[in-house]
This record gives sequence, C-alpha cells and structure tokens, in this order.
Amino acid sequence: MLALLKIEWLKIKTYRTFWILFGAFVLLYPITFYFVANKYMETINLKSDETNMLNSILGAPFVFPKVWHSASWFGGLFFVILGMLFILLITNEVQYRTHRQNIIDGWSRTDFILAKFSVMIAFIVVATLLVLLSGFIVGIVQTPSTSSASLFEGLNYIGYFAAMAALYLNVAFLVAILIKRTGLSIIIYFTFVCIVDNLLWVILTLKDSQFGYFLPLEAADSLVPNPFKPKMMERRTVSDLSLLITSACYLAGFGYIILTSFKRTDLKT
Amino acid sequence: MSILSVQQLSKNYGYIHALKNVSFEVPKGSVFGILGPNGSGKTTLLGIVMDVLKPSSGSYLWMGEPGSNEQRKSIGTLLETPNFYHYLSGADNLAIAAAIKGKGKENIDKVLETVNLLQRKNSRFNTYSLGMKQRLAIASALLGDPDILVFDEPTNGLDPAGIAEIRQLIIQLRYQGKTIIMASHILDEVEKVCSHVAIIQKGVLKTVGTVQEILSSKSATNVQVVEIASEDIKLLESVVKDMPGVSAIEIKNGTLHIITDETVQASTINRYCFEKGIVLNTLLLKRKSLESTFLEITGNQSDR
Repeated sequence: MLALLKIEWLKIKTYRTFWILFGAFVLLYPITFYFVANKYMETINLKSDETNMLNSILGAPFVFPKVWHSASWFGGLFFVILGMLFILLITNEVQYRTHRQNIIDGWSRTDFILAKFSVMIAFIVVATLLVLLSGFIVGIVQTPSTSSASLFEGLNYIGYFAAMAALYLNVAFLVAILIKRTGLSIIIYFTFVCIVDNLLWVILTLKDSQFGYFLPLEAADSLVPNPFKPKMMERRTVSDLSLLITSACYLAGFGYIILTSFKRTDLKT
Repeated sequence: MSILSVQQLSKNYGYIHALKNVSFEVPKGSVFGILGPNGSGKTTLLGIVMDVLKPSSGSYLWMGEPGSNEQRKSIGTLLETPNFYHYLSGADNLAIAAAIKGKGKENIDKVLETVNLLQRKNSRFNTYSLGMKQRLAIASALLGDPDILVFDEPTNGLDPAGIAEIRQLIIQLRYQGKTIIMASHILDEVEKVCSHVAIIQKGVLKTVGTVQEILSSKSATNVQVVEIASEDIKLLESVVKDMPGVSAIEIKNGTLHIITDETVQASTINRYCFEKGIVLNTLLLKRKSLESTFLEITGNQSDR
C-alpha cells in the first residue's frame, strides 16, 4: 500500500491544480476557524445579557472541551474541497487514459483502486491532523484558564471528523469511478452532497423519524452536528455508536462496489 | 513454446462482434504483424491480451501461462495512443511507468536517447507534438529492456524520417532476439519489418503464417497488382470492374489498384480501357507483394 502511495505521489507532486485545491483547504479552513472564533469571543466578552444567554445555550463553542466539536464541524464545511480534488484525481486518469496505461504497465486493477484508497487515507490523515491542530490552537487561545479545562473530553469529535471525511471521499470515489467525466462527476457530487442528501434527510426525519440519520452522508454528518444549534433542538435519539457502525457499513459497501465495478469493466475512455 | 497463444478469442459490444473466435500463436523471436483495416479488431485483440478489455469468450496464454501482472511488467507495450499525464514532463511520466514496472530510474535517459527525446525530457507532455508523444510511448515500452514488445500502430503520427527511424529500431530489436507483436493497417510497414503476419478483417482471422508463406501461397502466386489511373477515376473503376480476370479493386491515392490473374498482360488492360473510351495516364505492373494477397483475402474496398 505504501509503495502504491509513493507512485501516486509521483503523479501529483508537481500537479498545480492539486496544490491549489489542497492548499485552499489547508489554509482557508484554519484561518476561517481562527477568525470566526476570535470574532465570536469578542462579542461574548462584551458581556451583555443577550450574549451571556447565548453563551449559556450554546456552551462556549470555542473553549475546551467544546472547541473539538466546533473544529470538526468547521472542518466538514471545507472538506468538500478535498472531495472535489479527489474526484479530479480519478477522472484525470480516465481522461488521460492513464488508468489503462497503469494496468498495461503491470498494475492489477485492484492495485489501481488500492492506490487511490491510499491517497484517500492520506487525505483523511492530513485533514484530521489539521482539525486536531486547529482545535488545539483555538482552544488554547480562547479558553480563559486552560489548566482547569478538561482538555481531552470532547476529543471523540476528531474521530467523528475522520469518519465523516472517509465517507465524503468514498462517495466522491464512487461517483468518479461510475461517471468517469470530470465536470459531470463534480456536478453530481455537489448536487448529492448539498441538495439530495439534505432533502432526503428533511423528508426522512419528519415527525421525529430517525431514518434520516441513516442516509449515507448523514450517518457521519450527524455525529458532528452544528455546534451553534442549541442542544434542546436536537431531535436525534439514535446513538453515536449506531451511526458509526452505519458509516462503516457504507464505507465497506461503497468500497466493494468501486472495486468490483472497476475489476469487471472494459477500460476505455 | 509460443510467446503468445490466443485461443478462440471473441469480443462483443452489444450486437457488434469486434472479434470472432480468433486463434493464433506468436513464435519466439518473431516480428508478428497483425494486419487489418481500421476497425478490424486489432486494438481490441491487443487490449484483451493486455487485460484492459475483457473477452466475451476464449483465452490467451503468455509463455504458456495465463496473463498476470508480473508478466505485463516485463512486456513493453504501446496500445492505441500514448497515454500520459499531460501536466508532467516526459521524464516524470517515464518515472511513473518505471515505478509500476518495478524498474529503476536509471533506464529513463537511455530509452529517451533511443527515441531522440532526451533534450526535451523536462518539457511537459502537453507541449509535445504528436510525433514526440508517440516517441515517448515507444520509450516507455522500452523501459527495462523487455524481451517482448507489443506495438499498436507504432509509426502513427510520425513524419517520414521518424517512421524510418522507428522501423529501423524495430528491426534492430528483432536482431537482439526480442519478440515483437505489431498491429498495423499499413501493408508496406508489415512487409518491411515483420517475419510473420496475421490478417484480420471485421474481427475474423483471415490467414496467419510467415510473410514468405503467405506471399508464396497458391492464391497469391496466381495474382498480381496493377496500378492504373485516368482522368475520371470513378468511370475507370466502373469499367475495369467488369473486365475478365480482375478479382479486386481499391482506390488508393487517386489511382486504382487492381488484382488480376497473372495471365492478364498490361497491354490487355490498356487495350480494354481504350476500347471503352478511356485513356490511361498510369499503368504500372507492380511486383507481387503482401498487398495483392491482402486485397485478395479481404476483397473489395466496399466489402471490408
């Protein structure tokens, strides 16, 4: 797997679009998170009655331990950039017909898919570390007395972010492998992520139904709900564990479809 | 033992039969030409033995064993078009191919020099001309000095000097004892460099054997190619079509290539045309070649 990742690195290390999109995530996310936290805390520190009330409802989203939750949620907002980049890396291969050439040169079809999975894991690891670091820095800066705060209490949210990232990239992988065309894949991916998934979620959570939480992306999304949404508005009753298991099932299912469809298909354009 | 053994290979795309029960053996050390018009199934056949296309039925063996990744790593292949990452340089593209094949980077400069691309090795692939892309693909196939090479239309997109160089390279490779499988629609190319040939038409294997065997086969010895032309080539075609002894006709570069019995004399053709009111401005009796055999086997142009 590491050998495959090394070859993938040869493909992308001088690819400008890769660095632009990857850089956009690595820079935009922490900067935005940091400044939103600053602005929010400035407003809170005015100590008006209104903001005090807001603070008590929301539970100080940029202070330990809740900062882990907020960092993960903000990370999720920016993660579609990496989803788009991942689609591009796969559809490029079809466009350049290098998916054919890689096989001709001696990779098995499974090697090709595993190589892309290794890139996916690298993306998840880097993004998760970035969320961890961003959460830590903002927490340190914004928490009034760090020693008294329980630093590691909400750290499970970082793991939830990783699950969310895995599912978003896996769906991107599936779309790219099945659709093959760059533009169309990106349009379908965004339509699904931004519209279809949310619409289905609204329909499937009507009258406190819990089905909506088991949708492919919502299963992981719901693990990291909007930190600015007051707890009393949360209608989810299914446990985090069941959502994690659901996410794992989707990952395995989509992975299986990706692998079997690529193994069976004729590699044309 | 054969280098490649193809057994009853068929490939269907819906109702279209791209290949029908094709079987042949490629002997070690041969330059094996797969000859056929465009769309006859040559690339489909090579795509199957390189595992990028799945056969509908049939099988193939490389050196007596079913195809595998390890075998493909030791076969140099150029299939259909040069497939490279457009944003990477020639050398970076070859580094990826070498890494997949498990070969070292030290080969890269050598193969680039062989195809005269060394000076442009750091230019991006999308700045290359069609001929340079083709050269890079050939360089990629040569990585690791493989004993078996598969070339699909290797001279595609090259200028006349480039074509001559690549043909010379193929002949050199043959002298080094390598086995070369080469698909081409250019008869002249196959005749100049191949030791063996398989002729495919509409996915059906028409004949296979050494070039000598096919040239000296009974049918081939009894026919000849005559190149004729007149002002109105269409009129000439319609007239000559009915001439006794003519078995096939092809329009090529503004002249008619007709296959006739060996007994038909040039003067007979000239007289026949003149009597029909056509004055020939070209009349060439060509030597017996693979072309006459090919035209005879594959029939008229309209029939292909």
